[in-house]
Amino acid sequence: MEFLLQQLVNGITLGGVYALVALGYTMVYGIIQLINFAHGEIYAAGGYMGVILISWLFSQGFPPAVCLGAALVLAMGYCAMLAMAVEKVAYKPLRQSSRLSVLLSALGMSIFLQNGLMLTQGVYDRAYPTEMVQGGFEFGGAVVSWMQVIIVGVTVLLLVALNLLVFKTRIGKAMRATAQDKTMSALVGINSNRIISLTFAIGAGLAAAAGIMVGLYYGSVRYDMGFVPGVKAFSAAVLGGIGNITGAMLGGLIIGMIEVLAAGYISSEYKDVFAFVILIAVLYFMPTGIMGENVDDTRV
Amino acid sequence: MKRALYLISMLLLASFVAVGCGGEKKEDKKAEAPKAGLKIGSLGPLTGQYAADGNDIKNGVLAAIEVMNPEMGALGPVTLQAEDDACDPRQAVAAANKLINEKVTAVIGAYCSSATIPASEPLIAAKIFMITPASTNEKVTERGMPYMYRTCGRDDDQSKAAVKFMAEQLKAKAIYIVDDKTTYSQGLADNVEKLAPGANLKVLGHEHVNQGDKDYSAVLTKVKAAKPDVFYVSLQNSASAAPMLIQIARMGIKTKILAQDAVYHPQLMELAKKDAEGVFLTFGYTDKETPAYKKFAEAYKKFGEPGAYSAYSYDSTVAYLKAVKAAGSTDPEKVKAELAKLEFDGASKKIKYKENGDSGSNYVIQVVKDGKFTNYWNPETGELFK
Amino acid sequence: MTIRASKLWLGYGLAMVWFYFLLWPLMGIKPEGLEFQTSLAVWGKVAAASAVLLALYQLKQGGAFRFLEKPAQAGAEALAAVTGRVPTWLALCVVAGAAVAFPFLTERYAHDVAISVLVYIILGLGLNVVVGLAGLLDLGYIAFFGVGAYTYALMSVHFGLSFWLCLPISGCFAAIAGCIIGYPTLRMRGDYLAIVTLGFGEIVRIVINNWMSLTNGPNGILGIKAPGAYWFNKGSFEHIWLNNLEQLYFVILGLAVFTIVAVYRLNYSRIGRAFEAVREDQTAAELMGVNTLRLKLLAYALGAVFGGLAGTFFAARMKFVSPESFTFIESAMVLAMVVLGGMGSIPGVILGSLALIALPEVFRGFELYRMFVFGGVMAVMMLFRPRGLWPAKRMGVRSEEKD
Repeated sequence: MEFLLQQLVNGITLGGVYALVALGYTMVYGIIQLINFAHGEIYAAGGYMGVILISWLFSQGFPPAVCLGAALVLAMGYCAMLAMAVEKVAYKPLRQSSRLSVLLSALGMSIFLQNGLMLTQGVYDRAYPTEMVQGGFEFGGAVVSWMQVIIVGVTVLLLVALNLLVFKTRIGKAMRATAQDKTMSALVGINSNRIISLTFAIGAGLAAAAGIMVGLYYGSVRYDMGFVPGVKAFSAAVLGGIGNITGAMLGGLIIGMIEVLAAGYISSEYKDVFAFVILIAVLYFMPTGIMGENVDDTRV
Repeated sequence: MKRALYLISMLLLASFVAVGCGGEKKEDKKAEAPKAGLKIGSLGPLTGQYAADGNDIKNGVLAAIEVMNPEMGALGPVTLQAEDDACDPRQAVAAANKLINEKVTAVIGAYCSSATIPASEPLIAAKIFMITPASTNEKVTERGMPYMYRTCGRDDDQSKAAVKFMAEQLKAKAIYIVDDKTTYSQGLADNVEKLAPGANLKVLGHEHVNQGDKDYSAVLTKVKAAKPDVFYVSLQNSASAAPMLIQIARMGIKTKILAQDAVYHPQLMELAKKDAEGVFLTFGYTDKETPAYKKFAEAYKKFGEPGAYSAYSYDSTVAYLKAVKAAGSTDPEKVKAELAKLEFDGASKKIKYKENGDSGSNYVIQVVKDGKFTNYWNPETGELFK
Repeated sequence: MTIRASKLWLGYGLAMVWFYFLLWPLMGIKPEGLEFQTSLAVWGKVAAASAVLLALYQLKQGGAFRFLEKPAQAGAEALAAVTGRVPTWLALCVVAGAAVAFPFLTERYAHDVAISVLVYIILGLGLNVVVGLAGLLDLGYIAFFGVGAYTYALMSVHFGLSFWLCLPISGCFAAIAGCIIGYPTLRMRGDYLAIVTLGFGEIVRIVINNWMSLTNGPNGILGIKAPGAYWFNKGSFEHIWLNNLEQLYFVILGLAVFTIVAVYRLNYSRIGRAFEAVREDQTAAELMGVNTLRLKLLAYALGAVFGGLAGTFFAARMKFVSPESFTFIESAMVLAMVVLGGMGSIPGVILGSLALIALPEVFRGFELYRMFVFGGVMAVMMLFRPRGLWPAKRMGVRSEEKD
């Protein structure tokens, strides 16, 4: 029981991170039907910005809580700017081209950004000041660290904020309209370019938050850290039904849980196999994911 | 306006390329200045997941060249051609062929055993010396390759030292093993598992994690439940070991931890901080007080702290250059004869290559104490270091 | 200055400011304090270079280079007229001649790169059947390459079977793997397909990495035999191993030519047309009596066969296989070749493979900047030629062009 409880705690933490990254994939996909390969790199950039800002603010003598909060906000802003730039440079000119061309451009940007991070930040891991958040508490025999609490807390907070933004505000309405039909929404006066930019920015902000929390949790960041979570989060987005925000959250949580439980009870070396097999099985019976809508037949 | 923005962003990309070219040219000039002389190559992952270790190797070679250059006389000056293999067998072979084309006479590298083995085929066939400072897999030297040498130790020796330490010094009864599925880390872990029953150690479990994973919580929960006396951690490098140590501490696992030589890197303490304290590791014995080590440390200073394989790569280069100097030429047969005779005090250990190219292992147990790697126990004598 | 030009420069200024905001935090914020020098130096270089390029572009738009453009255009037209008159067979002969003469004119490093390029041409053409012809996005194609490589490696090491015998065997195994992957994906479309194939690719790699008793896990398999051949020597035939890079070059050249011919014939066959019908509009194709499910399976199997062939050669050429060669990024590379070259176009895929394998080797001189430049170039190439370097000629109007 203790064992299960501990694994569940681990799974929720991991799932929360996947969910935050998966949201970026799903939002971008929902609006321009692009698998944004560069998203994992935005997440890595967020991790780096976090460590850069935290160590600078810390050296200026701010208290830890202020450092953390300010770094979180600033890094989210930075990544939003970065993602908007990437969108302008690499995706927008290709909006009329075939979707695979954009996919390839995204792949190129991913390699470009990853190596850009390597060139400016070096090949060595960068240490996070893990001593800022220490300790934890016991809960029914399972150890829960404060860092895990923060991860889950910030994730929930951001998810609630995102839901409010998308479903309760005018901007959110515009985003949903653009995702449904770009031409029609443009006709009723929505600036679709601006909405697309905004979508990229929001997705990137969430990824940046995930990057910082992962850095604090695991103690370090590296320029290629975006790749593995990127693939996992993409799977999560598809599992939940790509294009669907609630689906992405659910998908992230499920993938995180499967991984941890498979590693805990079956075999740690085949845990990714289990994650993918379940993904394939779900898609076989629900070809559009758990919460996805029917995709137009003619799309390739 | 839109068009303009688009255009500019394009230009930005193009200019990045231009900047890249600019940087490149400058380096070229530096490299071209000394004409002729001796050219050696280095092979290692300069990009990708293990880029840090690859750069350590390259820097070790550079330091050695700087030290040896004044001594080389008419044979010099020595220049380096550093190639990237990204730890990918295909790229390693391509890089090896490139080095053959560039007419290098020796290659220091590679890092991953899975890159060293395929790259050695064309190199040895072209009669180019290959001295690996880091590939500890037994097969590297056991294929009867005439020009293949190894400066670091071997996995089988290292696992013996580890098992001996756990049984005799730590008086452990039950151990738990984790590796991250590379030729190196799994090879070591498997050896330990095989040797453990002979030393009355019970293996409670042997788990594998995937490379690139940072979340070990599921495996660690299992370890915690199993309550071993010693937790044997075999990971490919320090960057993956640091998050492991942090999570071990966070989980409240209090067992002793034994790691291996790949984890030896100053960044371990930088990343894991106080969570690295008290971790044991097997590592080739290096006396940091010898003149040879101090000379190395001096030459290496400008690259930062030496990593796990910096001293080995330095010694590999020095050994080759000494042999060339003694032979008076780069003729492979003469150099091979000299390498067989060669014996000197290297930075890492006493260098003496055996018939098959191995240089022997001298693993000791180190411990992380006050943020520093300190020698702890000598398996040869079974005694603690003072 | 015209309004347009000033807008252009305004945009330039904005972009540069934006760029500096992105660059400075990465380079300038340090615990020791804020620093502007290094980031400004890099920024200055980039700004200057892009200003020059922008100015050149403006001059070109303004017609300042017309004196250059006119003769260049005339030359290009003349060249096109000449090449247009050259019969296709002659052009093909020239290409074939160049390919045969290549190893005699170059050094071993070039041979090595050429062999890699040819391997990837086969892979690219195989994936082209799946993506270009049948329109099924596949992100796990490298799995078939792995299946082929491991099939030959195991057959060679355990049973001592020869390379030539193993070629068809590996092809069959890969085709079976293709069907296994294809079957559950038949009902899925578009990007769901992408993630499922990606998942399969990863599953194959993880299984190879973990199935110690069969594949020796991460240690890989050593001691694979090179292809053998009988060669006329001193009045009698004798058996030799084709270890030499030049000999291997001709083996892979032969395989590549076989692949090119096969894919070319497939393109214009009934099946090829059916593939295109499925790609363009599955519902319509089904109405016309095309069995779409069977065709999709066939596309996967056919694509996989070529992957298997390439894998067999890869194992024989490296004499060593390990799971590191079959990662997701390799799948992405092969896909990049197909898209960059031009989907569905054989010369395009060949060009794409050449670009993506040869470029990183050309960029080796950049050292650390290698992959950085490569990624940038990849994105830029896509921006300039979104339909690929050598797009396939297609008839009629397509659905994706309409929207």
